[in-house]
Amino acid sequence: MELDFSPVLTYLPTLISGVGVTFVIAVVVGLFSVVGGLLVAVISIYTNKVVSWPLRFFIWLFMTTPLLLQLYFLYFGLGEWILIPALVVGVLGLGFHYMAYNADIFIATIRSITNGQYEASRSLGFGHLRTLYYIIVPQAFIRSVPQIGNNLILMVKDTSVLSAIGVAELVYASQYAISVSFRPFEFFIVIAVIYYVINLFMEFGQSRLERLTAYRR
Amino acid sequence: MSTQNMTETPMVEIKNVHKSFGDLKVLKGIDLTVDRGKIVSIIGSSGSGKSTLLRSVNHLEVIDEGTILLDGVQVNRPDMKGLAFERHINHIRQNMGMVFQHFNLFPHLSTLDNVTLAPRKLKGMDRKTARELGMEYLERVGLAAKAEVFPSHLSGGQKQRVAIARALAMQPKVMLFDEATSALDPELVEEVNLVMRSLAKEHMTMLIVTHEMAFARDVSDWAMFMDGGVVVEEGPPDKFFTNPDHERTRSFLKKHLDSNH
Repeated sequence: MELDFSPVLTYLPTLISGVGVTFVIAVVVGLFSVVGGLLVAVISIYTNKVVSWPLRFFIWLFMTTPLLLQLYFLYFGLGEWILIPALVVGVLGLGFHYMAYNADIFIATIRSITNGQYEASRSLGFGHLRTLYYIIVPQAFIRSVPQIGNNLILMVKDTSVLSAIGVAELVYASQYAISVSFRPFEFFIVIAVIYYVINLFMEFGQSRLERLTAYRR
Repeated sequence: MSTQNMTETPMVEIKNVHKSFGDLKVLKGIDLTVDRGKIVSIIGSSGSGKSTLLRSVNHLEVIDEGTILLDGVQVNRPDMKGLAFERHINHIRQNMGMVFQHFNLFPHLSTLDNVTLAPRKLKGMDRKTARELGMEYLERVGLAAKAEVFPSHLSGGQKQRVAIARALAMQPKVMLFDEATSALDPELVEEVNLVMRSLAKEHMTMLIVTHEMAFARDVSDWAMFMDGGVVVEEGPPDKFFTNPDHERTRSFLKKHLDSNH
């Protein structure tokens, strides 16, 4: 089989716009899932069962079912009643999915902070909320960097699943180009390389952040 | 203590304090008065209730019965609930410095930030003033050179000295030491003791829970021996450490003075 990459060049603008969409999704979902995961973790640890049990159920639900199924539920299920753009459904679905995974990690790291930290802060005169804000959460966040980084890398790859509900991210864009050029392998190779490069940068950022925070642990 | 000065409010007053953990009675009616500028040492074996008593003063343990007063203000307020009590206790705690056995420095903050966080956030001190204040207290514990270093790069003795500076920076009325040197390697104990001695010279009111008998004898104005949740014996250190009345005190001191030399 001969490889011919010239169609890739022809459809480069399509791929670039796909990369753009993937990038935007990744950034929004990244922020949403990290900030949301932290909030879910803090609320589920420090409130009563009426609040924390539904949150735990939410985490459990999103961690035990496939992402694709969750997206179908949101897109086609909710589509019965309201029309939401695929991009919005995709961002919310992927966001909630990774919010659950991140919350699970934050819960573990918050619990790993010794009670002595809490007591030291309280003994200085800090209230409960300020102790969480200034002492507990920052330390838990630093301890979470390696695992949250891994989750974000997984998340970037999972943006491709959004092609199943018609979000025009990188894989969806290439499918269009393949359907008109009939050169699937060339496109698959190119987008594989693109994901690889994106994750190379993310791994670099992750290890840098780990090194920057190591002495603060 | 019994040296009464009727005109002055005692700095710390502990009256008939009871505390249980489940079925286990840890404090069975403790009374103690600490006058302004005095140093009281509380000694006793582990499980005697001495740490629980000290932690009760800071309300880290909630007592079941009795009253604790700081400078005439009641610390425990069973009549107060929720946010009102939270505000009350946060305010009270700003006047008490607490030093823990395991230092509990904040690992994500530099040495200086450990010292200045509370003055900045609780007293609204601006960064520059707080920095000057922080450096002043780090200077006092001999660690000004380590201001930008993080706790993970400090020795145990240095950590505890920073923890003392952190507590002092709130300019508390009383300092509570909960086995401040128990977790330290023997060669690091003296540097922390030195800082505590310098506080004693400046007439800081201190409540010290300790296993260091020689140190307690040196710095204290009053010593108290607890066992099984009650005060067995108390008195001025001269008598307390050389000629105690009770057999239990005597055997405890003998054991500890021997092992401590």
